[in-house]
Amino acid sequence: MKNLLEFLHKYHHWFLFVFLEALSIVLLFQFNSYQGSVWFSTANAIAGRVCEWDAAVESFFTMAHNNEVLTQRNFYLERQLAQLRRLYQEATQKTDPKELQELEKISQYKLIPAKVVTSELHKKNNLMTINSGLAEGVEPGMGVACGQGVVGVTFLCSDHYTVVIPVLNAASSRISCKIRNRGYFGVLRWYGQESGYAYVEDIPRHARFKRGEWVETNGYSSIFPAGVLVGKIVEVYNSRDGLSYRLKIQLSTDFGTLRDVVVISDKSIAERMRLMQAARDSLKLNVHE
Amino acid sequence: MSIDFLKRVVLFVAFVLAQAFVLGRIHLFHYATPLLYVYFVTLFPRNYPKRGVLTWAFAMGLIIDIFTNTPGLAAASLTAVAAIQPYFFALFVPRDAVETLEPSLLNLGPTKYSYYIVTLVTIYCLLFFTLEMFSFDHLLEWLMSVVGSILVTLALIITFEIAKRKV
Repeated sequence: MKNLLEFLHKYHHWFLFVFLEALSIVLLFQFNSYQGSVWFSTANAIAGRVCEWDAAVESFFTMAHNNEVLTQRNFYLERQLAQLRRLYQEATQKTDPKELQELEKISQYKLIPAKVVTSELHKKNNLMTINSGLAEGVEPGMGVACGQGVVGVTFLCSDHYTVVIPVLNAASSRISCKIRNRGYFGVLRWYGQESGYAYVEDIPRHARFKRGEWVETNGYSSIFPAGVLVGKIVEVYNSRDGLSYRLKIQLSTDFGTLRDVVVISDKSIAERMRLMQAARDSLKLNVHE
Repeated sequence: MSIDFLKRVVLFVAFVLAQAFVLGRIHLFHYATPLLYVYFVTLFPRNYPKRGVLTWAFAMGLIIDIFTNTPGLAAASLTAVAAIQPYFFALFVPRDAVETLEPSLLNLGPTKYSYYIVTLVTIYCLLFFTLEMFSFDHLLEWLMSVVGSILVTLALIITFEIAKRKV
């Protein structure tokens, strides 16, 4: 007994070492599946606050440029709206019913504004933190977009901060999208390296399209509404198995200067998700019987 | 609360802030990131309690991890370096040295100090990037990150040591 105690006392730092290493390894391997780990990420209130100060200082210096981009975009949209309205009036000779319908469609989405407090570009699996959380109505699995296009999907939420999986995450980001005005579906993926380019996989072989056409979300992903801009096609390849096309696209969102984003919260999406879940559960039940 | 403890707290906070907001965002040539906080662990003097070194290193690693969203990564690597540091430093201590000799360029001389610091930084960077990628599929990328980060980190540490000697 005395020998045992002596042994324990003499080598206690080795036990401490093994314990701390074990703790680290558990954290390392559980982070991606373990939702409670919000305390060990930048969604943690203290780290989030400190990062927010830092981002505030940075955003002050890039404000002028951001303003410029937003104004340009605004001007462009305004012009497009006017043009479309005029065309529509010419074509139908009336203004009211359909326009009202469109407005209603947009108002069903609740947009929650947020600021980016940390973001990464150079890793393989980048993450991003924004300063809205459960208290503002953000929940895991909601779409995040900015004035220029699609950004990512929310992943972990605390009361006031949220970790977002941006498009630039090779392991976890899969957003379904389509080619504008053509309707062919694909999946948006990213494989590391250049932060300005991503790939769209699984475009069918019979699809007809040209380089320079736009890719946007298709609205079937139950996360984004249809028509959020993704990027422009710059290159077309064959997929590895030769059964589909793979498109290289230039992302319309500039992740390097991203500051202001909106989280898209849609009541009908929640309803659809519930329905899907119910369907899945009932299928599982049938299998077990 | 000894003076030594307070001194280490101040150093600790300084290293965390520097890493989270300045150094952690530098990616020279896309690969080389300075991991200066490993310097904190190499500073513990002779006969410092081993459990103390381990606990400091683990805490440092964990907080760095929180800022980079990689829980456990820096903590695991830094704790490993902390386990080696007391034994490794003992190899370089001159026979007639004081009980609480600190590892520094001034105390050990350029040759011994280089051996000491290069080995510890190399061990740290190897562990860190191996755990981060957790596969050798991208061998070149891994090698570039390890070598790049070792060089940048060492350059910073040597600069600090030379500055310290002049003061």
